Amino acid sequence: MLTISGEHDLSTAPNLRRRLDSLLDEGAETVIDLSPATFVDSSILGVILDGRRRAADKSVGFAVVHSNGADAVDRVLEVTGLRAELPVHARREDALAAVSGNTGPPA
Amino acid sequence: MTATELRLTLPATAENMMVVRQAVAGLGEALGLPGMRIADLKTVVSEACNNVVLHAYDEVPGPMLVTAEPGEGELEIEVADEGHGFRPRANEGDASLGLGLPLIAALSDSFEISGGASQGSRTTIRFSYAPPDFSNNGTPTERPEELAMAITPGVMVRPVLARVIGALAARAEFSVDRLADTVLLGDAVSSSEGENFSDGLVALSIRDDTGRLEVRVGPMVTGGGEKLLGEMELPGAVSLRDLASNMEVRGGATPEGEEAEYLVFEVTR
Repeated sequence: MLTISGEHDLSTAPNLRRRLDSLLDEGAETVIDLSPATFVDSSILGVILDGRRRAADKSVGFAVVHSNGADAVDRVLEVTGLRAELPVHARREDALAAVSGNTGPPA
Repeated sequence: MTATELRLTLPATAENMMVVRQAVAGLGEALGLPGMRIADLKTVVSEACNNVVLHAYDEVPGPMLVTAEPGEGELEIEVADEGHGFRPRANEGDASLGLGLPLIAALSDSFEISGGASQGSRTTIRFSYAPPDFSNNGTPTERPEELAMAITPGVMVRPVLARVIGALAARAEFSVDRLADTVLLGDAVSSSEGENFSDGLVALSIRDDTGRLEVRVGPMVTGGGEKLLGEMELPGAVSLRDLASNMEVRGGATPEGEEAEYLVFEVTR
């Protein structure tokens, strides 16, 4: 579980990428929780999309949660179409179920 | 300088992005924007600045200039640099996967990027205080059934028309001979004078289908169709009309509803 809080942009994207890479390198099922984040830009979305691709390549479970309702992060996920595309789960339990292969209903 | 204008000049580094966001968020608060719109403003400005940080300078970051000028119902934002303009980047790893510009586009009223090789770039954004209308889901009002083109009379007409017609004929699976015939017909249209056409531009529309092209030249002024038809007759009793079928002048109207005529013909493979 990778929890992202506060504001994230180009300046923190490399760090997030490293953390995500090391989880995926271990072959760990990964859930990114964006709920406590107050801002993410396109570079962060890029890191998440790259992570999803890497996870798929390795056949490792990968899911994203955002349980905060309509906030700034939700807006960006909505406008870019990523909420449906990733998909982004509205509940942590659903994301956990999704990575363990027991796919619940999408968010 | 207007009394209410925010100007920021700072080194174009990723670490400064947060500073710019705080500044525009403060401006948004001062303007009384709703929270979600302040979030949009931060996103739009952040993404415009990302382009500067990622693309403007090579090694040493140069200046990034951000101005915001509140106007009637909207903010005009400008993000500029003195770098070498946007360059394509192959290292996709750090890039934003092309989500940055779509985000600016979706959350602003209009945006424009200007600049070019070896000059700084400038992103100008009009950002309304009211949230954007997401009701246009990308469905066009009508689906065009044909390709329409209009070209200023002159040296451009023949090469452009020949290439477009050639491409369409190839797509329609014409044989090489028939493709050449089609290009000849296009050349005949190209030699037509601008004065034959309703708005002075050599205009035509082409509908393509497997095995056939339907060409409609016009709108032309009265008599323009007959004149072009006459030009299809070559010296030595050869007529380009024989290369097409159903070539005729038809009455019609310009898109503005004025009386016009068209030369219509069909070419098959």
